[in-house]
Amino acid sequence: MTTPRYGVLVLATVVCAGPLAAQRDVTARLAGRVPPAVAAAVRVLADSAAARGLPADPLVDKAIEGGAKGVAPERVVAAVRLVLGELDAAAAAIRAGRVAIPDAETIEAGAFALAAGMAGPQITELVGLSTDPYAPAATLRVAGTLTALGVPAPQTVELVRETIQSGGSGADLLALPAKLQSRVARGASPAQAAAGLARPDEARGPPPGQREPDKGHPPRNPHRP
Amino acid sequence: MKAYDPLVKQLLDGELTLAELPPELQAEGSEALRLLAAVDRRAVMLPETLDARVMDALRTRARVVPVVPLARRSLGWITEPLELRLRVRPWALGAALAAAAALVLVLRGPGGMISRQGPAATVSALPESLLVRFVLYAPGAKQVGLAGTFNQWNQSATPLVRAGNDGVWTVTLTLPAGQHQYGFVVDGRRWVTDPAAPAVDDGFGRRNSVIAVGGTLRAGRVL
Repeated sequence: MTTPRYGVLVLATVVCAGPLAAQRDVTARLAGRVPPAVAAAVRVLADSAAARGLPADPLVDKAIEGGAKGVAPERVVAAVRLVLGELDAAAAAIRAGRVAIPDAETIEAGAFALAAGMAGPQITELVGLSTDPYAPAATLRVAGTLTALGVPAPQTVELVRETIQSGGSGADLLALPAKLQSRVARGASPAQAAAGLARPDEARGPPPGQREPDKGHPPRNPHRP
Repeated sequence: MKAYDPLVKQLLDGELTLAELPPELQAEGSEALRLLAAVDRRAVMLPETLDARVMDALRTRARVVPVVPLARRSLGWITEPLELRLRVRPWALGAALAAAAALVLVLRGPGGMISRQGPAATVSALPESLLVRFVLYAPGAKQVGLAGTFNQWNQSATPLVRAGNDGVWTVTLTLPAGQHQYGFVVDGRRWVTDPAAPAVDDGFGRRNSVIAVGGTLRAGRVL
C-alpha cells in the first residue's frame, strides 16, 4: 500500500489532537478557579474518564463547584473521584441495559439518577424500558428527579414502567415530576403522590376549564416565567 | 526512399552477381552498385582527447546540484509517496474474522445489545434554551446570587433582585436545554437550596437544587 507522507501526518494529527485539546480545555476551565494541585489531580481523573469513554465535563464542573464553595482541596478531589465513580457505575449499568455504547448525555443522566438515590440494577431496568420513542437519557432524568423529590427508588421504577407500558406519551413521562410536585404541594407525601400517577388521565389532570372542586389550583411552577 | 527489389538487395549483400539478376533488374542493380560505391568508406578517426572531454563534462554536470527552496523541498518530502506494507498472517486474519463475527452476533443477535447512540444524540445536540425564572423568599437578605453549572458556579454572575418589599427575590435568565444544578447564595456566604426544586447531594456535605430545561421532546421522540 502506498500513501503520501501527508496521509500519515494527518492521521497522526487526528489521533493526537483530541486528547490534547481535551486536556487544554480542562486546564483552561480550571485555571484560577481551583488550586494548581487540584487542577493537576482533576486533569489526571479527566484523562482516566476519557480513556474509559466517560464524559470529563462533570468532573470539571464538580471541581469548579468545590472551588466556588470554598471547599478544602482534598475534599474537592474526593468529590471529583466520587463523580467519576458514579459515571463509571452508570455507564456499566446502562451497558447492562443493552446500550452498547452509551453517549455522554445518557451516562450523565445515569450518574444523576445514582446520585439521587437509585441503584445500578434500577438504572439497567429503566434503560431496558426505554424503547422508542423514549430515550434512556430522558427516562433516567425523569426517574432521577422523581427520586430526588423523595419517591422511593423502587416506586419510581414502577411509576416509569406503568407510564410507558400504559401507552403514555412522551409528554406524560416528562410531566411526572411537575405533577408529583403539584400533589406534594397539596399535602401528599412523595410516595402517596406517586401512587396512581402513571395513569395518563391522572398525570394530565382535569380537562381545561374543569377544575377539580376540592383540590383548588395547583401551585404555579416557580421556574416557569 | 527507394525500395529495392529483393534480388537487388541480395546483389548488394554480395549474395548474387549482377549477371545473375534477371535482365529487367540489371539496370536497377547497376544503379544500386553505383550508389554504394560512392559512399566514403574511410575509417573515422576520433580525436584522442574525446574520451577525456566527455568524462570531464559528465563530472561537471554531476557536481552542479540545482538549488531547491526549503519550502519546496519540504513540500516534496511531505507529498512523496510512502510505501506502507501490511503483512497479514493467516492466523491473525482468522482471529480478526472470528472477532468481527462475534461482535456482529453480540450487537445484532436475538437479545443482543443495540446501540441507541446516533439519532438521539444528534437531535438532542440541537441548540435550545428557555427562559427560566428563579424565586427565593429571603426577607432578611441584603443580596442574593444564583450560582450553578450554567454560570460556572460564579455567585456574582447572576444576582437576584428584590420583587417589592415582601422579601421575594427573583431573576429570569435563559438556560440551555439539559439538566442543571444550582443554589442560591445569600449575602455572599450562605448557600441555600431552592425549596421548590428537587435536590441531590453535592458531594461536599450540602445539597444542590436540580432543574431540567426543555429540549426533551422533538419529532415525537423523547430525548
